[in-house]
Amino acid sequence: MNGITTALEFLPEILVLAGALLVLLLDVVGVRRLEAFGGVIVAAFGAALVAILADLSVAPFAGWSTLPAGSLDVGPVGGSLYAFTSFGLVFQGIFLSAALLVAVASLSRTSNEKGASVFYALLGIAALGMLLVAVSADLIFLLLSLEVTAISSYLLVGYTRRESRGLEAAMKFYIIGALSAALSFYGASLLYGAYGTTSLAVIGHSYPSGGLGPLAIVGYAFLFAGIGFEVTIVPFHAWAVDVYDGAPTDVSAFLAGGTKKVGLFAFFAVFLVPLLLIGGGAATASGSFRDSLQILIAVFAILTMTIGNVLALMQDNMKRMLAYSSISQAGYMLLGVAVATSAALTGATLQIFAHVLLKGGAFLVVAAAAGLGVGPMIADWKGFGHRRPVLGASFALMLLGLAGIPLTIGFVSKFILFAATVQAEGLFLWLAIAGLLNSALSVFYYARVLRTMYAESPEGALTPTEEVRGLAFDGLGLGRAVAIGAAVVAIVGFGVDPQPLVQVMQAAVQHFVTLGI
Amino acid sequence: MFLQDLASWAFLVPLLMVLSFVLVGFLGPYLKNWREGGWIAVVISGIAMVLGLLIAAGEMLSPGRYTDLHTTWISVPGNGTGVFPNGFSLVMGTLVDPISALMLIVVNVVGFLVLLYSIEYMQHDRGLSRYFAELSLFLAAMNGLILADNLLEFFLFWELVGVCSYFLIGFYYEKPAAASAAKEAFLVTRVGDVLFLLGIFVYFGAYATAGAAGGWAANGFLFVHGTNPYIPIGTGANPTLLTIGGLLILGGAAGKSAQFPLHVWLPDAMEGPTTVSALIHAATMVAAGVYLLAVASLFLGFTAADQFAIVAVGGFTTLFAATMAVVNPDIKRVIAYSTISQLGYMVLAVGAGFTMVGLYHLFTHAFFKALLFLAAGAVIHAVGTQNLFKMGGLRKVMPVTWLAFFVGALSLSGIPPFAGFWSKDDILSSLYGTLGAHPDYWPFFLMAVATVFLTAYYIFRAFFLAFGGDHPRDDSLPHGHDPSWIMKGPLMVLSGLAIFAGVFVFIPGFSNLLPGIGVPPTYTVTDILLSAMSVGLAGLGIGTAYVLWGNGRVFTLPDDSPLQSIRTVLLRRYYIKDAYDAFGQRVIYGIARIADFTDRFVIDGAIHGAERSFAGLNRRMRGIQSGVVLDYTAYVVAGLVVVLVVLLVIAPWLLSMWGGT
Repeated sequence: MNGITTALEFLPEILVLAGALLVLLLDVVGVRRLEAFGGVIVAAFGAALVAILADLSVAPFAGWSTLPAGSLDVGPVGGSLYAFTSFGLVFQGIFLSAALLVAVASLSRTSNEKGASVFYALLGIAALGMLLVAVSADLIFLLLSLEVTAISSYLLVGYTRRESRGLEAAMKFYIIGALSAALSFYGASLLYGAYGTTSLAVIGHSYPSGGLGPLAIVGYAFLFAGIGFEVTIVPFHAWAVDVYDGAPTDVSAFLAGGTKKVGLFAFFAVFLVPLLLIGGGAATASGSFRDSLQILIAVFAILTMTIGNVLALMQDNMKRMLAYSSISQAGYMLLGVAVATSAALTGATLQIFAHVLLKGGAFLVVAAAAGLGVGPMIADWKGFGHRRPVLGASFALMLLGLAGIPLTIGFVSKFILFAATVQAEGLFLWLAIAGLLNSALSVFYYARVLRTMYAESPEGALTPTEEVRGLAFDGLGLGRAVAIGAAVVAIVGFGVDPQPLVQVMQAAVQHFVTLGI
Repeated sequence: MFLQDLASWAFLVPLLMVLSFVLVGFLGPYLKNWREGGWIAVVISGIAMVLGLLIAAGEMLSPGRYTDLHTTWISVPGNGTGVFPNGFSLVMGTLVDPISALMLIVVNVVGFLVLLYSIEYMQHDRGLSRYFAELSLFLAAMNGLILADNLLEFFLFWELVGVCSYFLIGFYYEKPAAASAAKEAFLVTRVGDVLFLLGIFVYFGAYATAGAAGGWAANGFLFVHGTNPYIPIGTGANPTLLTIGGLLILGGAAGKSAQFPLHVWLPDAMEGPTTVSALIHAATMVAAGVYLLAVASLFLGFTAADQFAIVAVGGFTTLFAATMAVVNPDIKRVIAYSTISQLGYMVLAVGAGFTMVGLYHLFTHAFFKALLFLAAGAVIHAVGTQNLFKMGGLRKVMPVTWLAFFVGALSLSGIPPFAGFWSKDDILSSLYGTLGAHPDYWPFFLMAVATVFLTAYYIFRAFFLAFGGDHPRDDSLPHGHDPSWIMKGPLMVLSGLAIFAGVFVFIPGFSNLLPGIGVPPTYTVTDILLSAMSVGLAGLGIGTAYVLWGNGRVFTLPDDSPLQSIRTVLLRRYYIKDAYDAFGQRVIYGIARIADFTDRFVIDGAIHGAERSFAGLNRRMRGIQSGVVLDYTAYVVAGLVVVLVVLLVIAPWLLSMWGGT
């Protein structure tokens, strides 16, 4: 394999890395404009996204693929650390969409903002780590890529260095993150002890006939806790609320929309292989590990969605409410892992993408509203729907999507996810019922925000002339308007006509399931 | 052949109204001179109406045709096992058949007229763009519902019209009564919605056991499953399940169409603007329940037990609601009770197997009831009260409104040749014809006949109270005057329809929309006697009303009259709402109290404890030396222990309990 081929294989990653380095270089040579940094990163992300879509043969870009023929969906060659699968590429696309949304929206910040270059460079490096996670075929490679993202995220949370809240959040994030990374690596070392390899495919395929030893089981348990931190599985979630609340809101959008999804992909990579491949007839002395793992994930899925929802119900602060809702959404995604059929995985993948648009978009609206003088509490949003009809309707749409209302992408993903859970029959029916009840519960806190926005007047009622202030994009900035608009179009577009998206994901999941990596 | 081909473009009708919703909703606030976008909604709904009428005309030219177009909306892949081995799909599509063409006429004509009327009626209200946007969305959803070609799509639009109704009832959300009426309507119809959804599941189960599930589910619950659309698929299925499914569907229809015992929300829904009452709570959305029953009877089929239940609910509601209309002092609520009662007639007809007759009454009722509401709206607009006992003498100052209300009242009372006569008469004579085979329908037939008298009485009581006499009973009322042409126009068009809509079915083409109705009448002596009796009863009702309330008279029941107690019962609406409220107070509130206690002392305690520690943290220290971060690490470690315990102990134990599945 010569250098050129490798470079072409890693084209998206190289583009993103080059963008991040160029930003730092520009800073060194004295460029001080946020637009310049942002432009470079947006261009890099955009080009990388096109390269990924081309590799996936998506309509307008099909044929531009830079992957060598026959290297997609064949699994790691000769113990390679990475492998290109359409499943991984779909996730790369999801990660880049999240990063791109945030990068575009952030263009609207003040042009001479201090630390803009740091922000965009970190965004690029975090995205690089995300892309690498999605191609890793080796446990250590995967965990290291995860760390690349995690360390950039800690810095992103505190990069402004002015707000004590951000710094405090970054510190908390870092401490819990370091602990979790230690758990993950310890788990990986235990698995290495059990299998003598860190290749995910080999670990998956070489399930010992005598059953899994305690060494491997404990290793998986540590990995569950370590990766559970990224995914915000309860009780490894506690950092998320403080961090989403304390971080600059654009960064919160990136964390909720982006880095969390990386954790989910890592979760898929580490746990789906045993779920899909191990088991069958082989069983340990005390029952099949596959079934134990399913029970474990199901229990934590229900725990995560329920606790996330119940705590979200009680929040008065908008960002904290969204953070808890984000935690509960992770529970739905775990549902798909627990069921582990191709239909359920399609649903979970779709739910992850939906969440990027819905939650990422919602945080961007919150950031935009803060710029318009709306306070942090839910009560500060009284009458917002009337004062800013377009922004308010966008936010309403995102909340409705999170609640799973038809004609939004949120309905499509939940429908497929729950239908697949029901389809799996047996005890999974209870999982589906738990999920549906939670879904119904979540409607309450989304509806509460809608009521506040549309049916309550702010104290000291506005005079009619004040009621509608300015056109849709006044005071919003082009970047934010474009990012929010793109999210809205995608939410409704894929909600009305989801089939093309579903088919791409379905095909990718099918490859993953048959290939087993 | 252009007209026939239009059926393939039916999806444009709801889409046009979605366009109107988007345009008005987003641009409206900036269009002060265009009545905040109201004219946009009027123009677009006018186009939608023309398209709807042309599609219906195409259907008239091709008898018994149905055009089904659909596309897979969401497909769930199958995995070879489980409930759906080959997966299944949600389908979105349009079905243009005779009855949906009929509904296209009703919904879009009334919708357009109401929007036009609203331009003047609502001109002094704030938030007009919200009003017109929500009405547009409602019309989009209603058109989607009548064109739906499968049960799940039908349900989605069914929910959407409910949501629009909720928003529009609560349009004056600053008014507590309106806010609580909106909530009540939402909750009560929700009960029906849940029953409807369960009904879909039960029907699915019924067909699953009959071996048809693969087909029915895989094709997305499509209505059309053969060459003749109107042959129910209910063959070979478990009859018990079909009966339960039918009853659940009846529950859904009762919620939407305000049938006993889910009728309580409709009178309170009168807190919304009168235009909303005319369109949603008289002509269209409340008729969706009847339409659902019609669709279910044509495509799914009811068992004999279902039919009896539907007849019983419809027949009883007809009389029950009419009695409450008799005493009510509020002009809008009288008409609201009348709507419940008339919907009861339709339910009765569909239940007894006369689906087309029921739809025939739906068609005529939509026009004369919308007319009555809009005329009442003109009165309220002019005098600023809904209390009949304060009005009076309006005939002189509002001649056009007077005439419109008069026409509507005659049509509702069933006086020939007004529209209401033909359809109501058809219901009575059809039902009478089945009494030989179904003697158990007798009580409900008698209730339907008694209602004829009550209907004529209560509507003319309202008519005489509002328009009779020389002057208002309350002198402080402003002197009324007829509205401008924007409101008068719709009143006149609807008056025309309230007069002539009944005889449309005798026009050869139109009768294709209601197969079996309008064939040259072969009236027997019995039929003629029956008609004479019902007209006589209606005349008696009008006469009674005139004697008691005509020429400005106000009939007061003597205080010691035994009828006083009945009057109180009627005014208290048979105490049903009180009972529901009491149930809510005692049972639901009790549960809520328990939940509240848990919330306050268990969950809140934990939350506030955590919050206090955050607050403390902010004050005392920054960064690493925080107790909270230590807490979080403690969670992580505790979580890790739980994971280990589940993986190593609990899960294997559970698996051994279940025999290692």
